[in-house]
Amino acid sequence: MEEKLLTRHFDLKNLYKIEVYLKEVGYQAVKRALKEMKPEEILEEVKNANLRGRGGAGFPAGVKWGFVPQDVDKPKYLCVNADEGEPGTFKDRYIMSHNPHLMIEGIIITCFCVGIHTAFIYIRGEYEAIALRLEQAISEAYKKGFLGKNILETGFDLDVFVHRGAGAYICGEETGLLESLEGKRGHPRLKPPFPASIGLFQCPTVINNVETISNIPQIILNGAEWFLKKGLPKDGGTRIFGVSGVVKNPGIYELPLGTNLKDIIFKYAGGMKEGKKLKAVFPGGMSAPILKADEINIKMDFDSLVEAESMLGSAAIIVIDEETSMLDVLKVVTRFYSHESCGQCTPCRIGNSWINKIIKRIAAGGGKRGDIDNIIRLASNMMGKTLCPLGDAAAMPILSITKKFRKEIESYTAN
Amino acid sequence: MVKIFIDEKPLEVEEGTTVLNAAEQAGIDIPHLCYHSAFLPEGNCRMCLVEIEGLPKLELACSTQVREGMKISTKSEKVIEARKGVLEFLLAEHPLDCPICDKAGECKLQDYYEEYGLFESQFEESKEKREKRLKIGKNLILDQERCILCTRCVRFLRDVTRTHELGVFNRGISSEIHIYEGLSVENNYSGNLAEICPVGAITDSDFRFKTRKWFLKKEESICPLCSRGCNIYIEYHPGFPRFSVPKRVYRVKSRENQEVNGFWICDLGRYGYSYIDEGRLNQIVENVNHPLSELNLEKILLFISEKLKRLYHMKKTSHIALILNTWLSNEELFLINKIFRIDLNVEKIFFVDPPEGEKDDFLLTSERTPNKRGAEEIGFDFKPLDLETLGNGTQFLMAFGPHLSHHFSLTEIKPVFDKIETKLLFTSFSNEMNALFDIVFPTALIAEKEGSLTNLEGKVQKFSQALMPLGESQPEWKIMVDLAKKLEVNFNFYRQFSSPEIIFQEMGKEITFFEKRK
Repeated sequence: MEEKLLTRHFDLKNLYKIEVYLKEVGYQAVKRALKEMKPEEILEEVKNANLRGRGGAGFPAGVKWGFVPQDVDKPKYLCVNADEGEPGTFKDRYIMSHNPHLMIEGIIITCFCVGIHTAFIYIRGEYEAIALRLEQAISEAYKKGFLGKNILETGFDLDVFVHRGAGAYICGEETGLLESLEGKRGHPRLKPPFPASIGLFQCPTVINNVETISNIPQIILNGAEWFLKKGLPKDGGTRIFGVSGVVKNPGIYELPLGTNLKDIIFKYAGGMKEGKKLKAVFPGGMSAPILKADEINIKMDFDSLVEAESMLGSAAIIVIDEETSMLDVLKVVTRFYSHESCGQCTPCRIGNSWINKIIKRIAAGGGKRGDIDNIIRLASNMMGKTLCPLGDAAAMPILSITKKFRKEIESYTAN
Repeated sequence: MVKIFIDEKPLEVEEGTTVLNAAEQAGIDIPHLCYHSAFLPEGNCRMCLVEIEGLPKLELACSTQVREGMKISTKSEKVIEARKGVLEFLLAEHPLDCPICDKAGECKLQDYYEEYGLFESQFEESKEKREKRLKIGKNLILDQERCILCTRCVRFLRDVTRTHELGVFNRGISSEIHIYEGLSVENNYSGNLAEICPVGAITDSDFRFKTRKWFLKKEESICPLCSRGCNIYIEYHPGFPRFSVPKRVYRVKSRENQEVNGFWICDLGRYGYSYIDEGRLNQIVENVNHPLSELNLEKILLFISEKLKRLYHMKKTSHIALILNTWLSNEELFLINKIFRIDLNVEKIFFVDPPEGEKDDFLLTSERTPNKRGAEEIGFDFKPLDLETLGNGTQFLMAFGPHLSHHFSLTEIKPVFDKIETKLLFTSFSNEMNALFDIVFPTALIAEKEGSLTNLEGKVQKFSQALMPLGESQPEWKIMVDLAKKLEVNFNFYRQFSSPEIIFQEMGKEITFFEKRK
């Protein structure tokens, strides 16, 4: 069995309570970072660890922190993106509900490194129980002196707040998240300026995913070199793969980056359910271009998937079997993006709705010759032309499904 | 300065300029719907995508700042395809009701389709149904189906009036502009919304269904309804009116001037234009029988000049009085000053203007005196009418304007006027006070003549003639030039003034204030 970094202690009873966490793991990384390291040293370590963002885009966390200007007289903020809205993704909820203190440690170290004194955890509204657990964990951390004023008598102050979203996918997009956190509609912002310079309340802001932040304590305790060895040279550490769909053992699997997708499905997740045959896989959440059954002999890391014209995204693996109609898959995909498009920019607002209307018509038996070409044309007109990545996130699965399963979908349009 | 290339054309622009503004400077039009230079770029319409060498994706021209050596293509195949794509999306859900839409002819969506679209519709699904005629303000009707969600209206009410009446409601394809519960766009700048709406989503009920844009001509003018001097366009039907209502002006729109009114005008200035066509005097009125039969301007001026000459030669110019107002242009006030104060030494000069009104903390001032500053710079003391002084020995009165009734009642003024032997009025309007004068001569309004006005900040602004003077009306500057010629003082000096422009040149020579404003 591969070594687990983030989910190692998940089996411990009541790990979410600070007494248990302190006994078993214990805020060692925070103590080390705050008492023995300088912020520059932490930044250097995180940069060297090649910790790439676990939210989906895979941007190196250390580089992102480095963009935050240090010579500003404005406050700086950390926003932990716990909106976990990508269909098929359920890894962050495990971290937050099983091991919230690991994430809090990550928050403290990140804030100490970047010089931040206020952090927000933006958690999706549906995670009510988890939000309560986080609140509980945070208040325990305050009581033990890991949060609040003069943390561990180092003079460092930090406050952490939990903010619950209202259930919009777009608020997981980092600038949509900022707008929502400011109390406005979750409409993404134009970039540049990037949040690192002008973010929450117009102040420099770091936005990291829950899993990304939760990797920080490991890096502090064991060093960058150790972390790189757990994954790939350009892509350090492990990934929590969430496997769902028609497999024997759906669930989360923490494995080194670069693990073969075929192994994840057939070795770790126990293979296909009895009597089911593999048809297709979304390798990184529903936004990732789909892979056909014969394309899954592939290493699961950012670069390998880009090479295969897909993406690692949130590492949520959705397994689809032969009995599932790809038209139904398309219906789910287009309904989701049409419903979740924020409506701010033209191609995403109208493109997604239009494609969804066509799919619904085909499903109702009204398909026409030319529909598939039209869908491909419309999705291409969204691709790369929207204000935020939601347009691409919608276009990619639509384009890949219609291209790779064209014959099957065409069979539904022929009357 | 930064050197860039737009469509291979080298160009030097200031650092920080956006690609869209740089292209504008080079005379290259990049289509855009949500971008308006009054607001920060929003980037939601996606019409202004351009190709920048070295960048994998198309970039927004409205928000991308130029960099040294940047090579921008606004006409590449990729760009043209992207524009078509965006237009296709916008038009898919648009009702395409141009034949009954008031914006037709000045709609950006329509224009861009002509220029960059021209494709067959491939949209076979049913369109979203939304509100078609939502009254959102005193003069504003919102058609949500025509709306393309550029949010210019929301941003105007957020950033300019800060009144926040409108917002984007719902999400995705259900997104729509709507008014917040219990609110109505009642601020004094509401009319600007219909103007900045790039499509026919917000229309102005004052203009709605009255005419078509292509029947109208427009002329640059200055709003005379307060002392701000906002720059406007007067839009009018050339030729005869098409309806039984003798209406020539159909709309007043704002004209950009960053030093005065930015992009905006207030609702008073926008909707207050009915005075141009209503209550007007269009022929000479003779209230007292005169030896001169069948009056015309020539005969009236001859009559006036005889009277004035006699009083002047008898050294009785103290018996002459003038009532002026600040709706007179700089050029007209300049001539009146020359003829009456300088040539004839007339001292009894009063100003009767509309009374002060409401003001706001943006453009509208309380003063309803469009050229008060001009009158002061020309040398008039700004004396309001004092009936006692007027009644004291005045034998000859020349009055201008319709504003007496704003300040005096007929019973108050009649005894004073009865004592004055000769009274003439030059006005654009029918008014109960007109009966007090022997002869009333119709004059042209600002919309019907050329000239300049000086606003409260001392900015001298020219206005051009949109309409023909009504009936027998004449502009005051012309009346003054003709009168001066008849007076035969300085004949050669006055003879040269065949246009307000020439008068203005002379003003520049004589008055330093106007010199640098020529």
